[in-house]
Amino acid sequence: MSVSEEFIKSILELDERKALEIARRRLEAGEDPLKILGDLTIAADKIGEKYEKGEFFIADLVMAGEIMKGISELVRPKLKELGKVREVVGKLVIGTVQGDIHDIGKNIAVTMAEAAGFEVIDLGVDVPPEKFVEAIKQYNPNIVGMSCLITVGLESMKKTVDAIKEAGLRDRVKIIIGGGRVDEYAKEYAGADAWTNSAAEGVRIMLKWIREKAR
Amino acid sequence: MKLIEELMERQRKEPEIVLKERLDRLSKTIELKEPDRVPLILTGCPPAFALKHAGVSGYDFYYDYERGWKAIVKFVEDYPMDSIFFEVGLEGHVLALAFPEVPEFMIATAGHITGPMHDILRDKYTKFPGRELPLTIPTGQFLGGRFMEAEEYGKLIENPAEFIRETILPRAFESLKDVHQSRIALIKTGIELSKAINSMTSIASDLTKLGYPVAPLTDAYCPVDFIADFLRHVTNMLIDIYRIPDKVKAACEVLVELILNMAFQVKNAVHVFIPLHLNEMLPPKTYNELYWPYLKKVILSLKEKGLTIWVFFEGNHEPHLETLLELPKSWGIAWFEKTDVRKAKRVLEGHTCIMGGFPTNLLVSGTPEKIEEYVKNLIKDVAPGGGFIISTGVADIPWGTSEANLRALINAVLKYGQH
Ligand code: B12
Repeated sequence: MSVSEEFIKSILELDERKALEIARRRLEAGEDPLKILGDLTIAADKIGEKYEKGEFFIADLVMAGEIMKGISELVRPKLKELGKVREVVGKLVIGTVQGDIHDIGKNIAVTMAEAAGFEVIDLGVDVPPEKFVEAIKQYNPNIVGMSCLITVGLESMKKTVDAIKEAGLRDRVKIIIGGGRVDEYAKEYAGADAWTNSAAEGVRIMLKWIREKAR
Repeated sequence: MKLIEELMERQRKEPEIVLKERLDRLSKTIELKEPDRVPLILTGCPPAFALKHAGVSGYDFYYDYERGWKAIVKFVEDYPMDSIFFEVGLEGHVLALAFPEVPEFMIATAGHITGPMHDILRDKYTKFPGRELPLTIPTGQFLGGRFMEAEEYGKLIENPAEFIRETILPRAFESLKDVHQSRIALIKTGIELSKAINSMTSIASDLTKLGYPVAPLTDAYCPVDFIADFLRHVTNMLIDIYRIPDKVKAACEVLVELILNMAFQVKNAVHVFIPLHLNEMLPPKTYNELYWPYLKKVILSLKEKGLTIWVFFEGNHEPHLETLLELPKSWGIAWFEKTDVRKAKRVLEGHTCIMGGFPTNLLVSGTPEKIEEYVKNLIKDVAPGGGFIISTGVADIPWGTSEANLRALINAVLKYGQH
């Protein structure tokens, strides 16, 4: 088994100590940090797959996210030190909508998107429409992601999309919504471009958008 | 006359007879026998639709007990069912656990914090309409939080009651920080409790007059959920389970006793409600090691005291259904949210009474015809052989529910539910 494979395997087995230890070793051996981040992308993808197949549960996703976060934190300073930047595939502004504080799912989506190479600006929870608008102006993202788990959040998503429209920014961004209680109806109602109940699928959709735009 | 109107009239005119029928229907169902008709139980946790129907605000409900809680009475008067399940505040069980000497808290609200109590105690767990939330919003919100660090499990395990009292309460309740403030706050809370008990007694009498079964209720928890809700917060709890499973296990071990102690505070309780949270999030291996053994212990101990046990299985419980077979036959009511009740029936037939099956969103997005069809099929598939209560999830009849749809649901149960 190659180091890469062993590394990915330890993440999939949720063996935090081993995963961090391999990452550390690889960095010390002078391996390109970008290669390690590349492995995280593969791991995140497999994790999403396992979840969709019912082999992984939410607790597994949360723990995998925690491990990947720990690894990114190790790798990031090294990247800086080498003056390298990871090629950013796209920019995502994400937040849980106003009135809703559920963030477990959103945090998983953040980790997965980062692992896939997105630069993610996380606005946190209970995010009012104005804050989304401000962030779009400030960061100029390709994609806006909204997380919503409660019925009252439906209204907030609609308000947010309306505020983005009003600010004349709707054409600049694609909008994806996620969370346990969103569906086709919620997407239509809010005026978003896509919806998902799975972070892995969400990342696939976002990557597709980026590819389409590049063409 | 529609069946629903007939029942409305009967519960007004002959409540004693209707009450007897309802009690009989429910107890037969729990004993896994076929009652005369499939029972219907609707819920209000929090009762958004009931408030809208009665023209009462969320603020009124949480702050003006008598007036606010009457909304429940009005709701069951106009939408007849077999029993109503509602909560009058937001989870505050950490207090009940810390002060077993004051059973009045469990007796008044089954461990829930009301609006005035929130003002007095200034807890960081909840948000209320008219305070942190707009006045008009119908539902308060329980947010939980992290009030304990991973390094503190040792202290929790060593002396849980003391640790919660001395360390957690001052962190989680602004008014319980210093001695003088706490004394004032606790005296004032006591006054609120007696108000709440009075209002509860008055509502109970109104409900009885409409033929609704009313009996003292108590609450219990699965230890992992208790730690997640009141001490560590859900995300940290999930991570602790991987990083320090032995500590989590030891904490669950000691918390079981405290949780039972809390539940038993309501001496004359008939029902006990156990809302589950993390069940669907855990892989079977973890569920079987850290969650189920303690939940089972809680259930069995409550059963021993003769309580009727209602467990709300939040989310999708399908991966763990089989474990329920380890409990004695007709141990209580398994109330499911996203679990497919047809699947549950296949696994639990002749063993466990099942409750649920009606998707809440159909009340908002469906039509009376669709709802009738849905109920008809559901009853055909799940009701034969008994042991089935039709219901929605715990999270209330939504604000946006159309009256015609709700009436269609009730009418369809009355029409197709006859055994
Ligand atoms: C954990 C939890 C809580 C925790 C939240 C902890 C936290 N920091 O997140 C606590 C206890 C604090 C809580 C509080 C409340 N909750 Co709550 N909660 C849940 C619970 C049990 C699990 C939610 C969860 O985390 N799921 C796991 C994650 C991983 O799933 P997910 O969000 O769908 O995310 C996945 C995908 O959708 C995707 N994704 C998510 N977001 C995004 C975004 C983008 C852009 C993309 C691409 C992908 C993506 O990625 C994830 C991985 O694949 C659910 C019930 C349930 N079983 O679903 C209720 C639930 C969501 N809660 C509910 C309610 C009502 C509340 C309260 C209002 C209760 C109250 N009255 O106090 C409060 C209010 C909070 C508020 N203002 O928001 C209701 C909502 C009902 C409704 N339709 O409105 C539910 C459904 C419970 C129920 N059965 O009724 N809750």
